[in-house]
Amino acid sequence: MGLPLLSLIIFTPVAGAAVLMFLRGDDTVRWTALAVTILDLALCIAMLAGFDTTTHAMQFTEKLPWVPALGINYALGIDGISALFVFLTALLGSICVLASWVAIDRKVKAFMVSLLSMQALMLGVFCALDLFLFYVFWEAMLIPMYLIIGVWGGDGRVYAAFKFFLYTLAGSVLFLVGVIVLYFNGGETFDILALTAQDLPFRVQSWLFFAFLIAFAVKVPMVPVHTWLPDAHVQAPTAGSIILAGVLLKMGAYGFLRFSLPMLPEASVYYSTLMLSLSALAIVYGGLLALAQDDLKKLVAYSSISHMGFVTMGIFALNLRGLQGGILQMFNHGVTTGALFLFVGLIYERTHTRSIADYGGLMKAAPVYTAFLALFTLSSMALPGTNSFVGELLVLSGGFAANLAVGAAAVLGALLGAAYLLGMYGKVALGPASVGVRFKIRDVNARELAATLPLAVFVLWAGLYPKPFLDIMGASVEHLLVQVHAKGSGQ
Amino acid sequence: MTAAALFQSALASLPEIVVITGACILLILGQFLRKGQTYFLVWASVAVVLIAALATLMLAGEVRPAYTGMFIADRFAVFFKLVFYIATILTFLLSRKYAEIEGIGSSEYYVLLLFALSGMMIMASATDLLSIYVGLELMVLCTYVLTGFLRRERRSNEAALKYVILGAVSTGIFLYGVSLVYGLTGTTQLDGMAAAVTVDPRDPGLLLAVVFIVAGLVFKVGAVPFHMWVPDVYEGAPTTISAFMSVGPKAAAFAVILRVFLNPLVATSNVWIIVAVIAVVTMALGSFVALVQDNFKRLLAYSSIAHAGFALFGVVAGGADGIASVMIYLLIYSLMNLGIFGIVILMRNGDFSGEVIEDYAGLAKSHPGLALLMLLYLFSLAGIPPTAGFFAKFYVLVALVERGFVMLAVIAVLLSAVAAYFYIRIVMVIYMREPERTFDPALTPLVRATLAFTAAGTIGIGLFPAWFLRLAQHSVFGG
Repeated sequence: MGLPLLSLIIFTPVAGAAVLMFLRGDDTVRWTALAVTILDLALCIAMLAGFDTTTHAMQFTEKLPWVPALGINYALGIDGISALFVFLTALLGSICVLASWVAIDRKVKAFMVSLLSMQALMLGVFCALDLFLFYVFWEAMLIPMYLIIGVWGGDGRVYAAFKFFLYTLAGSVLFLVGVIVLYFNGGETFDILALTAQDLPFRVQSWLFFAFLIAFAVKVPMVPVHTWLPDAHVQAPTAGSIILAGVLLKMGAYGFLRFSLPMLPEASVYYSTLMLSLSALAIVYGGLLALAQDDLKKLVAYSSISHMGFVTMGIFALNLRGLQGGILQMFNHGVTTGALFLFVGLIYERTHTRSIADYGGLMKAAPVYTAFLALFTLSSMALPGTNSFVGELLVLSGGFAANLAVGAAAVLGALLGAAYLLGMYGKVALGPASVGVRFKIRDVNARELAATLPLAVFVLWAGLYPKPFLDIMGASVEHLLVQVHAKGSGQ
Repeated sequence: MTAAALFQSALASLPEIVVITGACILLILGQFLRKGQTYFLVWASVAVVLIAALATLMLAGEVRPAYTGMFIADRFAVFFKLVFYIATILTFLLSRKYAEIEGIGSSEYYVLLLFALSGMMIMASATDLLSIYVGLELMVLCTYVLTGFLRRERRSNEAALKYVILGAVSTGIFLYGVSLVYGLTGTTQLDGMAAAVTVDPRDPGLLLAVVFIVAGLVFKVGAVPFHMWVPDVYEGAPTTISAFMSVGPKAAAFAVILRVFLNPLVATSNVWIIVAVIAVVTMALGSFVALVQDNFKRLLAYSSIAHAGFALFGVVAGGADGIASVMIYLLIYSLMNLGIFGIVILMRNGDFSGEVIEDYAGLAKSHPGLALLMLLYLFSLAGIPPTAGFFAKFYVLVALVERGFVMLAVIAVLLSAVAAYFYIRIVMVIYMREPERTFDPALTPLVRATLAFTAAGTIGIGLFPAWFLRLAQHSVFGG
C-alpha cells in the first residue's frame, strides 16, 4: 500500500487547524473541528482494519531522510502497542471537541486550533520510529497544552499551567541528554529499531534508565513527581482534562514500553523491584489522597495517580500477564477516566460547583446521567464485566508473580479505589436531594450522549470480550518480553 | 607587496571595501538630504549591504588569504558575514519608523551601522591579533555612538558612557594580552603563535596572555564576569540598536573566539576548563537574574547573556561539530532575537514604550497575529521544538556529548529549563491577561517584512535544519 496512512493520520488535524484559521463564526469552527476529528478517527479505523495482528513487526512504516548529517529520519510505524493508543487518541479527539462545544465560549477558534495541534502531536508521539522525531512531538505538545490549561482553564489556571510546563520540561530535557548519549553509544543513529537491537554496557544502561525515568515518571506521573497533575487537572477545561488523563499520562508509560524496556533491558530487570515499589506506593498513596478529596475533579485526578500505578506495575512485572494488563489498563484508563472527567465537566457546566458536598440525589434529576456515571464509576473500580476488571486482574496476577508484597499492596489500593469511588457516587447520585442543586439540572442532551456512548461501548466491550484488544497487542508484547529477557537476564 | 598580491588582497576584501566605500558616500550624501528623506538612506544602505553580500557570495568558492596573513576570506568568514548582513538589513528595516518616532533624524545613524558592519566583517576574516583588534575597535566605536543616539534621554547617555568606559578597559586588557603574545612569540598571527607554542606549551606567560585575550573577547559577548554592561546598555540604547548589538557584534565576537580558541595555542592548554566555567556561570546568571526582570529590554539582555553562555558550551566542545554548533546557534539566535526585538520596537508608538512586560498584557486579544509571532519567538528562545531554537540547542548538546562532556550537557539543559520560565511568563502575560489599554503598534510594511522573514527562519530552520546544518558544517574553518 503506497498510501502514507500514518502521515495522513498525523497531518489531518494539522490541515484542519490550518483551515480553521480562515473560518469565521464559532459554530462553523466547532462543526469543522468535529468533522476533522471524525475524519481522523475514520482513518484510524481504516488503519486498524488493515492491521496485521500476527506480527510484532512495525507496520505502515514510512521513512524519509530529515537531517542526514546526524542520521535523523522522518520515520513512522506502529506495532500492536502503539496501534491501540493511536486509536484511543483519535477517539478522544472527537470527544474533546464535543465536550468543549458549549464549555468553551470565548476564543473558540484558537481553542480548536490548539486542540487539533495537540491531537496531531500526540498521534506523532505514538507513531514516531525516530528518537529525534519522537522528542520533537513529545516536547512540542507542551505548547498547545500550556495554552489549553492557561487560557481556557479555571481561576488558578496560570499557576497550574506553569507548574505543568516546568515539571514536564525539566523532566524531558534530561531525557534529551539521555537520547543524545544513547545516540553516541548506539552507533550514531536515532532509529528506534536499530537502537533496540544494540547491546549497551550495563553502566550506560543504568544512567540512561534514570535519565529516561525522570522524564517518563513526570509524565505518568509517578509519586513523588505527581504534584503537577491535580493542579493541571483541576484547572484545565474539560477537554484538557480528558486529553491529560486519556493520552498524555499514557506517554510516560509508553516511553517505558518503547525505550526503557527494549533498549535498556538489563537495567529494566535490575531496577524492576524499585519500579514495582514506586508503583505500589503510587497505588496506595494516590488512593488515600483520593479518599480525602471533596472536589470531584481532584478526586478523579488523584485516582488517576493510583490507576497509573497499576499500569507501571504491570509493565515492570515483566511477565506476559503484567504487560498485557498494564497496556490494557492504559487504554482502559484513557476510556474510563476520560469519561469521568467528561462527566465532571458536564455537571460543572450546569451547577458551577465541583464540591461533592454540594451534590446529592442527582438520580432523580438526571437519571441518564447518573446511570452512565454509575457505569464509569464501576468501571473505574474494576467491577467484573467492565474493562478495568480485565486489566486489573491481569496486572494483579502479573504483579503477584513478580513480587508478593507489591501485589498485596496493589490489592489494598484496589480496595481503597472501591471506597472513594463508591463514596463519591453515593454522595452525588443517591440520597436526599441537596439544597444547593434543587433538581434544576437538565439531563444529558443528544450531543453529550454522542460523546458518552462510544466510551460506554468500549467499557463494556473490553469488559465482556477483551480478546480483540489483547490480540492487537499480543504479538508485540510477546516480542517485547523476549527482548527484555533474552538480554536482560544477564544481571 | 607586488601589484598582483595587492590585487588578490583587495579582491579577498572586496565586500569590506564595498561597505566602507558605500558608508563614506552615504556619509557625504547624507549632508545634502533634507529631513524626511530617510527612505533614500534606508534603501541605499540596504543596497550597499546587498552588493557586499553579492560580492561575498561570488568570492565564496575558495579560500583566499590576503594582506600577508592578516586576513582571510574563507567559508567560515562567509558564513558569519551572511549572519551580519541579515542582522544589519533587518536592523535597517526596523529602524525607519522607529527613528521617526524617536526623532532620530540624522543620516549618521545608518552610516554608523554600516561602519559597524564593516568592523564585524573584518573580525570574521581576521587571522592576526592586530587585524582582529582593528575590526573590533571599528565595530565597538560605532556601537558606542549608536548607544547614545537618543541624545535627549538621560538613560541613553548614561548607557553610552558606561559602555565606552567599560569597553575601553576591556580593549586595553585585550591589547595587553596581544602585546604579551607578541613579546613572547614574536608574532601576532594566529598560525604563527600556534607554531611558536608547540615548543613549550606550558609557558605561563603565554597562558597569562591567553587569559587577557579571553577577558577582552568575553566582554564583547557579554559573558560573566564581564556582563555588567549588557543590561544597562541594552536598556538605554535605542531598541533598534539593542537588537543589532544582541546579534551582530555578538556573533562577530564569537567568530573571533572560535578562531582564537580553537587554535592549537589553546587546544594544547587547558583553557577549555576556564571557558566551561565561564559558560556555566554565564548561563546560570543570565537565566536566574532574568527571572525577576520587569523591563522587557533588560530581560532580553539577560536572556542574551544566557544564550551567550549556551553558545560558549559549543566552544567548549570544540572540534568541527562544536564550531558548527556555535555557528548555527548564532544564525538561529539572530533570527529569533531580531524577531522578538522587532515586536518590542513596533510597540514603541504614542505613549507606549513596549519596554515593560506589563505593556503586553492581553496582546493576544487585540492582535492575535502579533501574539502568535511572539509566541513563536519566545518558545524558540526557550528551545521548544519544532522551532529553530530547539535545534540550535540540540546540536550544541550533540557536540558536547560527542566530546564526552555529559555533565556539562546536563547542566546546560537544566539551566535552559530555568530560562524557559521567563519566556513562558511573557507568553502568560500575552495570552492569559486582560488587555489594559488599546494597542496601536507601529506596524509598517518594512516591519512586517522583517517579522515575516524572521518568523520564516525560526520555523523553517526548525522544521528543515538539514540544509543549514550542512552549510555550517561545510563552513567550519580548516575542514
